Amino acid sequence: MYSRPLPHARTLRTAGTGAVVAVAVAACGGASSGGGTAGASGSSRHAVVTISEADGCQVSATSFRAGALTFDITNKDANAVTEVELEANGRIVGEKENLPAGFTGSFSVNVDGGSYELVCPGAKPDSVAITVTGKAASSAGTVADLLRQGAKEYAGYVNDQATELVEAAETLRDAIKSGNLTDAQTAYDKARPFYEKIEPVAESFTAGKVNLDADIDAREGDVPAAQWQGFHRIEKGLFADQSVEGLSTYAAGLVANTKTLRKLTVGLTFQPYEIANGAQELLDEVAASKITGEEERYSHIDLVDIENNDEGAEQAFAALRPGLTKIDSQLTATIAARFAALDALIETYRTGDNPSGFVYYGDLTKADKRKLAAAVKAVQEPLSKVASKVAQG
Amino acid sequence: MRAEDVRPSRRQFVTSALGAAGVLVAGGAGGVAIGRAADGGSSSQVGGTIPFYGPYQAGIATPAQDRLAFAAFDLTSSNRHEVALLLGKWAAAAARMTQGDLIGAVTDAPQAPPIDTGEALGLGPAQLTITVGFGPSVFDSRYGLAGKRPAALADIPPLPGDALRAGISNGDIGVQACSNDPQVAFHAIRNFARLARGTAVMRWSQLGFGRTSSTSTSQETPRNLMGFKDGTNNIKAEATADFDKFVWVGSETDQPWMRGGSYVVTRRIRMLIESWDTDFLADQENVFGRLKNSGAPLGGKTEFEPVDLVARHPDGTPVIPADAHIRLASPHAHGGKKILRRGYSFTDGIDPDTGLLDAGLFFIAYQKDPREQFVPIQRLLGGSDSLNEYIRHTSSALFAVPRGLSGPGDWWGKELFG
Repeated sequence: MYSRPLPHARTLRTAGTGAVVAVAVAACGGASSGGGTAGASGSSRHAVVTISEADGCQVSATSFRAGALTFDITNKDANAVTEVELEANGRIVGEKENLPAGFTGSFSVNVDGGSYELVCPGAKPDSVAITVTGKAASSAGTVADLLRQGAKEYAGYVNDQATELVEAAETLRDAIKSGNLTDAQTAYDKARPFYEKIEPVAESFTAGKVNLDADIDAREGDVPAAQWQGFHRIEKGLFADQSVEGLSTYAAGLVANTKTLRKLTVGLTFQPYEIANGAQELLDEVAASKITGEEERYSHIDLVDIENNDEGAEQAFAALRPGLTKIDSQLTATIAARFAALDALIETYRTGDNPSGFVYYGDLTKADKRKLAAAVKAVQEPLSKVASKVAQG
Repeated sequence: MRAEDVRPSRRQFVTSALGAAGVLVAGGAGGVAIGRAADGGSSSQVGGTIPFYGPYQAGIATPAQDRLAFAAFDLTSSNRHEVALLLGKWAAAAARMTQGDLIGAVTDAPQAPPIDTGEALGLGPAQLTITVGFGPSVFDSRYGLAGKRPAALADIPPLPGDALRAGISNGDIGVQACSNDPQVAFHAIRNFARLARGTAVMRWSQLGFGRTSSTSTSQETPRNLMGFKDGTNNIKAEATADFDKFVWVGSETDQPWMRGGSYVVTRRIRMLIESWDTDFLADQENVFGRLKNSGAPLGGKTEFEPVDLVARHPDGTPVIPADAHIRLASPHAHGGKKILRRGYSFTDGIDPDTGLLDAGLFFIAYQKDPREQFVPIQRLLGGSDSLNEYIRHTSSALFAVPRGLSGPGDWWGKELFG
């Protein structure tokens, strides 16, 4: 997924009002105090936005002094509109979602001088040019700065997991070499989490014949039998055949491949939108192959994978959170709350009855699986909106 | 998917015929245009739009479209505002889809998923209607709505012949999407489910592939999977007095928010098709009380002639047997009470346990008060109908279907969650 090229991010809208999108200074994030005085043009710190089928996107004032600015929005009757955004150079600096016809809402941003566009996607006309003059008091950091910082932190997280993965693979290799089946099974359980947290990163290193994800994580049947290696080949030996016989080669190969992965992740940088898509991909993993028990078909520790996919996705979200919350605090809060609900649900399956720490897949009822799937989908829907919000225009 | 792209030959035009009762009066669009593309009674090509806004929800008095996608949702959020938002989004999306538009705006953000899933693009709405109702469980303690529960929304009591499966019964919110194009109907339900994520989950859903009811005198009576015309004497849209008397909730309700609404009962009725197929013709006809080919009542010659329930054979036995479906379902057996049937044939493949066809009738009935209509009718049918040998009721659901929406900005359940 990380190999996906970024399509042209959000093209600039040409405003129906003929607004020219000028070289907007990046907006400062946050709704913190910006002085609170009325602007030179006489406009207040509040703007009233009215969206209607007949008149499209309308705003009570179009020029403001730099600083904190609040948009109070009413969607009177525009069935095509569900959100309002403030954009600078095609990048969203603040927005309010969940505004179907008949509903109201508001959002606040701290804006610096420059040209902006207030966009009501789906309305006709769908945008109004906003001019901001002056300079906002310095704030903790711009949205772009925060996102950059988060991306850096996420890269560090990926490095850490890759390093731990190598160590866990070595432990697994050693246990297999020593011939102790129980130790090897436990080592398998302990190694899986590090891969499951950062799987999309490994998936991104696919070029030509090199497919690191397949080499590490292919399931039986995913690749021709002669090429099958990695975690699940070892899993089959340990849990289906109940033997370490013949697994040493695979264990050594796993160590080598995880080392390659670690090397590739050093110095890797991420775009914020890539991190958002990565989080989504991790949850797709849960929804597509873990909830069906296909992934850990011999060890049945699918819940371990689910927990760690969730953890990895949440870490990715956490990296974006400081920047994202300035763009859309409510969306951010919704995602956080739904992650928390998913975490809590997963926690209910924790057990001391087996070494993996979670109940085995076979012990899940149909109702359990439905609940888990719904909780994952509940995160994915708002999360799917994040990539476009954090993409740089 | 714009409605303007659809150019059916408007062989039939139902306009203000329904206007007296305010049924399906278009909000400024000037009536209901129903076109039939094909001659010969096949309505599979019918395009056009049904007005979404009006005093009553569309999809009840609307002449029954050919295809059904029905879903019941359970609310997972205990936050009233989140539920309100969902209902608001649904209303806006439904207003657009029924008029042939994509939901939301067409996004130009390549990094965001498209707002509309897109599979109905270019298909035309094909008379799509979306009808929403609230189940009894909405009025439990979660939203503080116990005081708003209509008395008529009483849980359906156990009825004779029930073989109900809980997993495909009941639900907080019921959504009926009908269209002449199955993909358009499915698209509506799919996008509703998507908009619901995090606030509600789909509890069960049912596709219907062919209408089994005629709800307009302009429609032929279709056959059910038993090969019979059932529902010849259904309430027809043209009979506005019947709608006021039997379908629309009026001032008699204890809950003003239900005025202009109706109550829908759905029952998934599995037919034991293989058994039926080995029954001899005369017995099949005695079970229904109609002739298989013509649809005429036993003793009669044409489908629509009055059913003679008192006629007797020379030996004194009734021409229409005492346990015939047509007799027990007749308004005469129920003090003149009628219901509006709007069901669809379904199949869900085969029964994995037996290898027998899992198919039948997804029964849908609208009425003013289920306690006075569906429940006593089914109590009699479930106890005595000779059809029972060949059918099993496998699901049951009940929803209070509120009034129609007045215009953009209005939404279902505003009086409950607003």
